[in-house]
Amino acid sequence: MSESMGRDLAGGHLRTWRDGGGRVVGYACVLTPVEVLDAAGVLPFRVKALGCSKTDRADARLSRFNCGFCRSCLQLALEGAFDFLDGVIETNGCDQLRGMFENWQYVAPAPWFHYLKVPHVVTPESLDYLEHELRRLAAALERGFGAAVTDERLIEAIERRERIRASLGRLADLRERPAPAVTGSEALSEVIAGSALPPAVFQELLDEAIDRFERRPAPPAPARRLLLGGAAIDDVELVRDIESLGGAVVADTLCFGSRGVSLELSEGWRDAPVRALAERTLRGSTCPRMYDELPSRLELVLATAARARVDGVVLVHNKFCDVHGIDNALLRLELEKRGVPVLALEREYGAAADRGRLRTRTQAFLERIGGGR
Amino acid sequence: MGTTDVRAGLFERAVGLFGLIDGMRGVPSDESIEGLLRLLPPDPRRNLAAFFEPHVREAGVSFLRMVKDWMFHARDARAAGRKVILVPFNFPPELVLAFDNAVPLTSEVLTTIAAVGLEGGGERYWEHMMGLGLPDHICSANSVELGSVLSGIDLVPDAIISAAPGGCDANSKIHELVSRVLGIPQLLIEKPVDDSPEGHALYDVYFRQLIERLEDFLDERLDEDKLRRLLARANRCTELYWELYELHKPRPCPVPNIYNLFLAPVRFCLWGSDQAIETLETMVRTSRRRLEERAYPAPVERARALWAYTSYYFDVNELHGWMERQGYTFLADVLDLYHPRPIDLRSRDSMIDGMIAAAWSYPMNRQMGASSMSGAWVRDVAHGVRDLDADCVIFCGHDACKQSWSVVSILGDELERMGVPLLVLHGDSWLKTVTPIAVLQEEITAFMETRVVGRRRGAGRRRLRRRSTTEGSS
Amino acid sequence: MSPITLGIDVGSLTAEAVALSGRELIASAQVDVLHDPVATARRVLSMLDETLRSVGLDRRQAARTIATGYGRERVCDARLADHHVSEISCHGAGAFHAPSAAAGAGVRTIIDIGGQDAKVIRVNARGELSDFSMNDKCAAGAGHFLELMCRTLGVSLDELGPLALGASHPVEMSSRCSIFIETEVLHFLQRGFDRRDIAAGVCHAMADRVLSLVRRVGVAPEVTMTGGVAKNVAVRREVERRLGHRMIDLGLDPQLVGAYGAAVLGSLEVARSGERR
Repeated sequence: MSESMGRDLAGGHLRTWRDGGGRVVGYACVLTPVEVLDAAGVLPFRVKALGCSKTDRADARLSRFNCGFCRSCLQLALEGAFDFLDGVIETNGCDQLRGMFENWQYVAPAPWFHYLKVPHVVTPESLDYLEHELRRLAAALERGFGAAVTDERLIEAIERRERIRASLGRLADLRERPAPAVTGSEALSEVIAGSALPPAVFQELLDEAIDRFERRPAPPAPARRLLLGGAAIDDVELVRDIESLGGAVVADTLCFGSRGVSLELSEGWRDAPVRALAERTLRGSTCPRMYDELPSRLELVLATAARARVDGVVLVHNKFCDVHGIDNALLRLELEKRGVPVLALEREYGAAADRGRLRTRTQAFLERIGGGR
Repeated sequence: MGTTDVRAGLFERAVGLFGLIDGMRGVPSDESIEGLLRLLPPDPRRNLAAFFEPHVREAGVSFLRMVKDWMFHARDARAAGRKVILVPFNFPPELVLAFDNAVPLTSEVLTTIAAVGLEGGGERYWEHMMGLGLPDHICSANSVELGSVLSGIDLVPDAIISAAPGGCDANSKIHELVSRVLGIPQLLIEKPVDDSPEGHALYDVYFRQLIERLEDFLDERLDEDKLRRLLARANRCTELYWELYELHKPRPCPVPNIYNLFLAPVRFCLWGSDQAIETLETMVRTSRRRLEERAYPAPVERARALWAYTSYYFDVNELHGWMERQGYTFLADVLDLYHPRPIDLRSRDSMIDGMIAAAWSYPMNRQMGASSMSGAWVRDVAHGVRDLDADCVIFCGHDACKQSWSVVSILGDELERMGVPLLVLHGDSWLKTVTPIAVLQEEITAFMETRVVGRRRGAGRRRLRRRSTTEGSS
Repeated sequence: MSPITLGIDVGSLTAEAVALSGRELIASAQVDVLHDPVATARRVLSMLDETLRSVGLDRRQAARTIATGYGRERVCDARLADHHVSEISCHGAGAFHAPSAAAGAGVRTIIDIGGQDAKVIRVNARGELSDFSMNDKCAAGAGHFLELMCRTLGVSLDELGPLALGASHPVEMSSRCSIFIETEVLHFLQRGFDRRDIAAGVCHAMADRVLSLVRRVGVAPEVTMTGGVAKNVAVRREVERRLGHRMIDLGLDPQLVGAYGAAVLGSLEVARSGERR
C-alpha cells in the first residue's frame, strides 16, 4: 500500500468495489462508527482533501474565515470528486464540518443523506442518546441500501475492525521503536489509504505492509523523536517535511492517526454491540470536541509521549480551527509546565506557500531541543 | 520588565466608570451630561454621548442604571458571601438570579462594556489572550473579558457555566481553557443539535442536572417561591418585550436604533429584575410617545435594516446614531430577537420547563445550535424581515463567527429569492481595530443608496427553493 | 590564526555574508536579493571574496560555512554551504555572541524585525534557543509596513524615525491593518495634522505589533533589537518605553546578525570537533 493509493480518491480497490455493485457512503468525522456502515454492507469512505489547495468554488460558499480543510473538502465535492458516493453522513464533529455539509447538501445534494448527532459530553444520558442515534443510523442505512443491520452483522463488522485496529497497533509499535521500523509519514499513509478501502482489503494490505516494514533493514536511530498532535491532517507532506528536518514522528494523537484506535471495547460487548460502539465512540474519543475530557486527553498525550520516549511535541492546527487552536494552546501550557517542549503550529491548509514558514519553525524547534539536521 | 498593557482589570475599570453613573438622579440635564462626559477619556466620552442624546436619554439613563446595579451587585457579592458565576450570553441568567447565594455575570456583556465604556476598548485584554498563545481567530466576544480574567488582576468568578457546547466551539473551548487554567469549576450544559423530541428530551435532562449541580455548588436549594416571584417579573419583561417589538413595525419606526443595543443586556443579564422591567417600560413608553408624535431622527425614514446576526459594539454613536441621521432604521439584530414566551408559574416543574424552553430558544442556540444552522437562520431572518417590514438585511460578518460565515451564502441565496438585498460586511464586532467604523459606514451607505433606498422590497422575488435538508434520499 | 567560518543569510529582501576568524568579524557583504536564492548567495559570496582577498584570505580556507534565512535550503543544495540552520537560532546565537562588551553573554531576548517578517527569540544562559515566536503573515508587523507609510508620508525610511521623535501629540491609529492605517495617514495629512505626529503614530503602531509578538514568549533582560527596523530610532524608543527597559547595542550592524550568528555557530561546531580530535 502506498501514498499514491491514498491520493487516488476513487480508484483502485474502491473502483473494484463499486464495479462489483458495492455502495459507498462518505463521512468526515472520526466519531462516525464505521462498523455500522460495514454491517449495512456499504463501504465507509472518509472524506478528505489530501492537501487540495484550490478553494475558489468552496470560498464562494464557505468563507475565508472557515477552516481550510473543510473548504478544500467542499471544493472537491463541488468539483464532483465525490460524485461516486452513494450517500453522505454528516456528523457534528465541529462547527466547520456542519457548515461544510450544509453547503454541500444545499448545492450538490447527495443521493442519500443522514445526520448523525454525537454528543459533546459523556454522561449516562448522552450514551443512551448516542445509542439511539446509532440505531437510527442503522435504520436509515437499511432503508437506503437494503441490508438490515442485525446484531450478528454488527458483531462481525466490529470484530473485523478490531483486527484492523490490532494491526494498526502493531504499526504504531514499529514506529515507536528506538530505531523506528516505519516513519511517521509511512504510518499516516497507511491510515489514509485505509480510510477508503473495504475492511478485508485494508487488513490484507496493512498486514503485508507491516511485514515489509519489519523485514527491511533497521534505519539509524533518529536525532529527535516527536509526538505529533492536532487537527485534521490528511496530507502526508506535512509529516514528511517534519521528518526531513530530523524529527521522527514516532507517535501521534491525530484525527487521521491514532485517535481512531485508542480505546478497547468493554468486556461483554457482544451482548450489546450498539451500546458498546456508543461507549467507545464517546469515552474513547480523544478529540478536543469532547468537553470536560481534558484530563484524560492530557493523560493520553503524556502517556504516549513517555512510552514513545519523545523529545518534544508538535501540535498543529489548521487556521480558523477553534477546537484545536484553543486546545493546543491549553495543552502547550500544561505540557510545558511538566517540562515537555512543545511547538504549536498554525497552518494554512493546502497552501504551498505555507510550507516554508512551517519548515522554519519546525527546524528551529528541533534546534531548540537539540536535534536539528 | 513586563510586556502586558493590562494594569487594571476590565471589571474593576468598568465599575469605576459606573461609579460616575451612580451619582445621576432622574433624567440629567444637558449641563449635567456635559459635566459628566468631560470627566471621561475620549473613547467612553464619545460612546456614552450616544446614550444621552435627547431622544434616547430617558431610556439610556435607565439602561445605564440597570447595568450599574448589575455590576455593583457582582462587586458586592463576595463581601456578602455570595458566589459570582460567569455565564455566557446564550444562557438565561434568571436561573442564577433565582439563588440567594449567587450572582451572574455575562462574559459577552462585559466585553461589550469594555468596547463601549473603556479607553482603548477591550484591546489590551485581547492582546493579553494573544500573549498566552491563543490564535487570533478566536472570538473577541468572550475573549476580551476572559483575557482580563486570566490577567490575574481582575475579578475571577467562582464558577463558569458553559452553555455553548454543540452550538459554538469557540465559546465552549475558551471557557474550558479559562476553567482549567484558573482551576475554577465548569458547569457544562450541551445544546444538542437535534430538534427532534429526543434532542429536546436530552436537553431537558441536562438542564435539570445543571440545576442540581448548581444547588450542590451553592449549597442552596432552588426555592420555588423565589423562582415564581422572579419568573412572574420575567413574564412582565416578556410582555414589555413584545410591546416594544410591535412598536418597531410602524413606518417611520418610532423606536430609536440604540434601543436594540439595550435589549441584549436586559435579557442576558437581568431578565426578571425590577431594573430590567423599569428599562423596558421606559423604552416602551418613550417609543409610544414617539409614535404619537411621528418622531424620527431624520426628516425621512429611507431604509429599514434587519441585522442578521450581531452588530458592532464599538463607536456606537457612529453606528446607531449615524444610521438614524441618514434615515436608516436599525430594526433589530439576532441578539435582541430572543423570542421570549410567558412561563407557566404553576409548579416548580412548569417553571423549569419554561426556562428550558427559553434557553433552547436563545439567540445563537436557536440558529447555530439547530439541526440545520442555515435552515433555522433563514427561518428567523425571513420571519424578521416580513414581520418587521425590513427593506434589507445586513450581516455584520464578525470575523470569528465560523458558523454564520459558513452559511451566510445560503442565507444570501434565500434572501435573493425573496427579493431582499443582503449586505455582507466584515469586521470584528467588539474590536474596532479590525475594521474601522468609517469603512463600515462607507459600505453601508453604498449598499443603501444603490440597492435599497427607493426600491420596493420583494422586487425580483422568486419562490423559496425546496431545500433537501431532510434525511434519506434527496 | 583562528579557523575561519562563514555565515550566509539569504532573506526575502536582502542577503548578507560574514566571515569570522574565531569570533572576530573580518569581512562582511550585503546585497539586495535576486529572484533566485542561489544566484543571490553566489553574488554576496563573490562580494565577500573581494574583501577577503584584500586582507590576504581566501573563502576556501573556511572550516565551516553555514547558511540561514529564507533561501538556506537551496543554498545548501547548491553546495554553497556545509549545512543550514534556522534564522531563529542564528539570530539568537548572533546576538548572544555579539562583539559589544555591553552584550557579552547577557542577551536573553532578541527582537528581530525584518522587511517581511518579525520574530522574537529567547535564549538561555548558554546562548541556546529556548523559545521563539514569529510573524510572517501580518504586514503591519514587519518593515515593509514602514516602507509603505514612508511613501504615503513622502519621507525616506532613514528620515521616518527622526521625524517621529519630533512629535508633540502622536496620532493614534485606530486599526491594526496596514491598508486601513495607510488610509488613516492620508486622512490625517489631508486634515493638516503635523507630519511629525503622524510619523510618530505610524511608529507606535509598528511598536504595538512588535509588542504583540513579544508577549507570546515574554521578555527577560537583556533585550536587543535586530533587523532593518532596529535602525528606526522612534520604533526602538517606543518599544523600550513600553517594555520599561533600554535595549542594548550589539556593536554590530543589526542586519548582519543572522549571518554573524550562522558563522558563530560554525565556529562553535569547529571548536567541538577540534576538542573531539
